[in-house]
Amino acid sequence: MTGTRSATIFALALLAPALIYILAIVAYPLVDTIILSFTNASLRQEYDFIGWANYQRIFSAGNFTEVILRTFIWTFFSVSIKMIIGMFGAVLLNAAIPGQTVFRILTMPPWIVPMAIGIFMWGWMYNGQFGMISGLLQNFGITNGPVAWLAYGNTAFWATIITDVWIGVPMVTIYFLAAMQSIPKDLHEAAWTDGAGRFYRFRRITLPLMVPAIITMSLLSLIATFNSFDIIWILTQGGPSGSTTTMIIDTYKTAMGSRKYGEGAARAVVISIFVTIFCIVYFRAVRKLQQGEAK
Amino acid sequence: MSQLSLKRLEKSFNEARIIKGIDLDVSEGEFVVFVGPSGCGKSTLLRMIAGLEDVSQGEIEIGGRVVNELPPVQRGIAMVFQSYALYPHMSVYENIAFPLRVEKLPQAEVESRVQAAAKVLQLESRLQHRPGQLSGGQRQRVAIGRAIVRQPKIFLFDEPLSNLDAALRSEMRIELMELHKRLGSTMIYVTHDQVEAMTMADKIVVLDAGTIAQVGSPLDLYHKPDNLFVAGFIGSPKMNFISGKVRKADGTWATIDLGALGVIDLPRTSTAIAGQDVTLGIRPEHLELGDGEFTLETRPNIVEQLGIHTITYSTLPGGENFIGLFEGNPELADNQPVRMSFATDKVHLFDAKGLAVY
Repeated sequence: MTGTRSATIFALALLAPALIYILAIVAYPLVDTIILSFTNASLRQEYDFIGWANYQRIFSAGNFTEVILRTFIWTFFSVSIKMIIGMFGAVLLNAAIPGQTVFRILTMPPWIVPMAIGIFMWGWMYNGQFGMISGLLQNFGITNGPVAWLAYGNTAFWATIITDVWIGVPMVTIYFLAAMQSIPKDLHEAAWTDGAGRFYRFRRITLPLMVPAIITMSLLSLIATFNSFDIIWILTQGGPSGSTTTMIIDTYKTAMGSRKYGEGAARAVVISIFVTIFCIVYFRAVRKLQQGEAK
Repeated sequence: MSQLSLKRLEKSFNEARIIKGIDLDVSEGEFVVFVGPSGCGKSTLLRMIAGLEDVSQGEIEIGGRVVNELPPVQRGIAMVFQSYALYPHMSVYENIAFPLRVEKLPQAEVESRVQAAAKVLQLESRLQHRPGQLSGGQRQRVAIGRAIVRQPKIFLFDEPLSNLDAALRSEMRIELMELHKRLGSTMIYVTHDQVEAMTMADKIVVLDAGTIAQVGSPLDLYHKPDNLFVAGFIGSPKMNFISGKVRKADGTWATIDLGALGVIDLPRTSTAIAGQDVTLGIRPEHLELGDGEFTLETRPNIVEQLGIHTITYSTLPGGENFIGLFEGNPELADNQPVRMSFATDKVHLFDAKGLAVY
């Protein structure tokens, strides 16, 4: 009896640091945000509980649904492009070509360079007057004059996606490469002796066997991209005229820009709900895939 | 006419020569087994025939045509891999049908060929299952099924039974032999297990460090090994080797000094071995208890009673291990002196280079 009890105490003691950390860093802010979302907190010292008013306001003002939609479109394109380029990259890096190791190393810089530096670099490249992209396009005679990519809603939207893709691709590529290399070589050899060409083998063997990796990476990337803040904030701060304002930018602007802490909290709670749903889908998918493997 | 010919075949990986000039002919319908210890190049040789490894030098001819540069599918071969290489995400049916799908055969043709293969291999009730739901033996059969549907001229098997347990292995061995009889196709089979080689092969190719040590029928190899390597590799338990020195070789008899064991006279016509260090080989099953033509006394440190026969393990005065295999259950005890003998016509003799002397 005593043994069991002391074992429990020992286990709790071991868990305590992690538990305290999670309570302080995750649970407390989460609960506090939820409470805050039912108040009219602002720069004033006091605030009142106002029930669902914040939620009613954000959903009745048309632009929030627009922001949600924009966030989904932005995330969809960013994740999809990352997955497609990541898959191509993995296929190329997996090919038996001379200098393979060098190419593998060369994929890493976007991931290794501190994110802010990478984003500032892209900011300069998008610059109309001094930017490399505008300069090159003019040199090749594709555009007549300078194009400030971040100055127009449409181009800014895609520019932020491209930068997010640039930063995210190495991780996806390396993950896919690892998944590809875990497919037994024998399977490809067997298919090759049966006359299956490269593309046929990719379509009928590699791709189906990579489905678990693709699902896992897509969902993880979805969660990270949905919350992507730094890229948009550094490049456009959500502009021009809100064309790159995603939910996280919108929340930050409301809470920190307009100092409407209560309303900002409500917007943050909505993001949390979406991310929670993604996480549930992710964990269910992982469990299902593991069960599938066990079979 | 031979269906498969290897001519001065060589394979190098960078500096390392793995296959060092192999010449071999395989006739249509033969069951040929490549056997040898790990790293002797037998799998590499099979993969070269399959087209999975490039040829560094020499030629591979199948049906009279040099196929060095042809992809596997155009060589008329089908291969069964050691790991089975089944596609885990496809049903048994689709696994077997895979080569036919690649060929884009009409569904009716695919259906009839898959069903025919499934019938031969008793897989009819398993066609909708995934490989993960099958036992080792069934997976093996699916892999064979995938080879059969292509109706190849030559089947290549790369240690196909090594992942199965002992009981299943002997069962599958018999199934494979029956399959060979039924299909009548040429089969080339790689194994490190000399029992598989002895029981299945029409022709055994013993490989040693990238060269052919001997080619012959199982009984040829057993009774007339060309060299020490083959003598030691074929037969279980292994052949006993005793070192000696030829005192005299007059063209009829060779007199060999075996040190502490005494002197033995063997009928040999070679005179070249006079004065040479030689090795005597005697199979454990050719020993008899009690005195005989040449008798020696041993003191077995281990006696294994297997019911059908008894095996003794002892060490000779010269330090060589010495195994005896006797029928039935003679009363033998550990560490007790045992007199055993052998007939001189059962003795193999190898010269200083390890080549057989007759």
